[in-house]
Amino acid sequence: MEFYNKPGEYDAINYIPHTESHGTKELWKTFWLLLGITLFDFMIYFVMPASGFRNFIFIFFGLVKAYFIVGAFMHLKHEKISLALIILVPTIFICGLIIGLLYEGSALEVMKSM
Amino acid sequence: MANHTTTEASFENQPTWAGGRSPFNVSYGKLMMWIFLLSDAFTFSSLLVQYGTQRFSNVITPITTKWPDPASIFNHFPGMHGFHLPLLFVSVMTFILILSSVTMVLAVEAGHRNSKKEVAKFMIYTILGGLAFLSCQAWEWYTFIHEGARLDGNTFGITKQGYDHLHSVSFGSHFEWEVGDRTFGPVPFAALFFIVTGFHGFHVFSGVVINVVVYIMTVRGVFERRGHYEMIEKAGLYWHFVDLVWVFVFTFFYLI
Repeated sequence: MEFYNKPGEYDAINYIPHTESHGTKELWKTFWLLLGITLFDFMIYFVMPASGFRNFIFIFFGLVKAYFIVGAFMHLKHEKISLALIILVPTIFICGLIIGLLYEGSALEVMKSM
Repeated sequence: MANHTTTEASFENQPTWAGGRSPFNVSYGKLMMWIFLLSDAFTFSSLLVQYGTQRFSNVITPITTKWPDPASIFNHFPGMHGFHLPLLFVSVMTFILILSSVTMVLAVEAGHRNSKKEVAKFMIYTILGGLAFLSCQAWEWYTFIHEGARLDGNTFGITKQGYDHLHSVSFGSHFEWEVGDRTFGPVPFAALFFIVTGFHGFHVFSGVVINVVVYIMTVRGVFERRGHYEMIEKAGLYWHFVDLVWVFVFTFFYLI
């Protein structure tokens, strides 16, 4: 492990881990993937009539895009697993909350029309 | 922090969670940026939860079209007045944001190679992308307000007749509302649109400000003297988060 601090001294506040370039190949690959998925969304929007299944496709590809942005662009794939977990686990619970409240919203719709 | 410093050898012998070292092997600033982004993700989630609940309790069906169909409102493109072009303009906005995300990550990569010239070049591209996105959003808001969007009302509700009319026109053809197509819809529609896209737009704006500050620091050689370009990574994390939020705004406000 290399440090930018003075040799023989370790300062937890000003500690900067040494980073190295992994090249731009993965980054451009991610860009083309994101662009491709966005174009696919655009196509599906006009080809398929609106339905719950189409919404599912959009949300699924939204999550795929999120995976590539967080993993490759925000570099979380290459961080320590403990750091990735404290960031990702709460957001999984939020996804659960959103799904739950969408069901509740639909139930509210039925209640209002009664 | 002089009294907290210890020799590298004794630091290496410490157990991971004994304190005085970085258990995640990231710098203090970067860890705090991640924590901030997590809390910001909660903020956006609460807005999206509110939007989703409102939306699903006012579902679009061919018989009772209560929640306005996004395709009927966001179907404009600059210089193409009167044509039915749903989703096209937001797709261009999405493309701009993805592109600026790539130039940002290329700036981070150049920073790892300590290439001051390339970092400055890619930061300029990123700033231009951010400004282009903000201009697009300003145009989008202007058009929406011009069409009659208000915080305390909603005239974008569609009747059965309007629904059939809208779905009979094809992409790119001429389209205008007829009498009886539109009715009053759920009030929070425009308010939620303005709050969520406005909140996101404000993040883009502050991201551009951060990027400009970091660009000036790069050109003045602050990071060169420091010996590392970690500040670019922190600004980059924020910028990618803005892109990430847009993925979900795009999905929930325009696609669904």
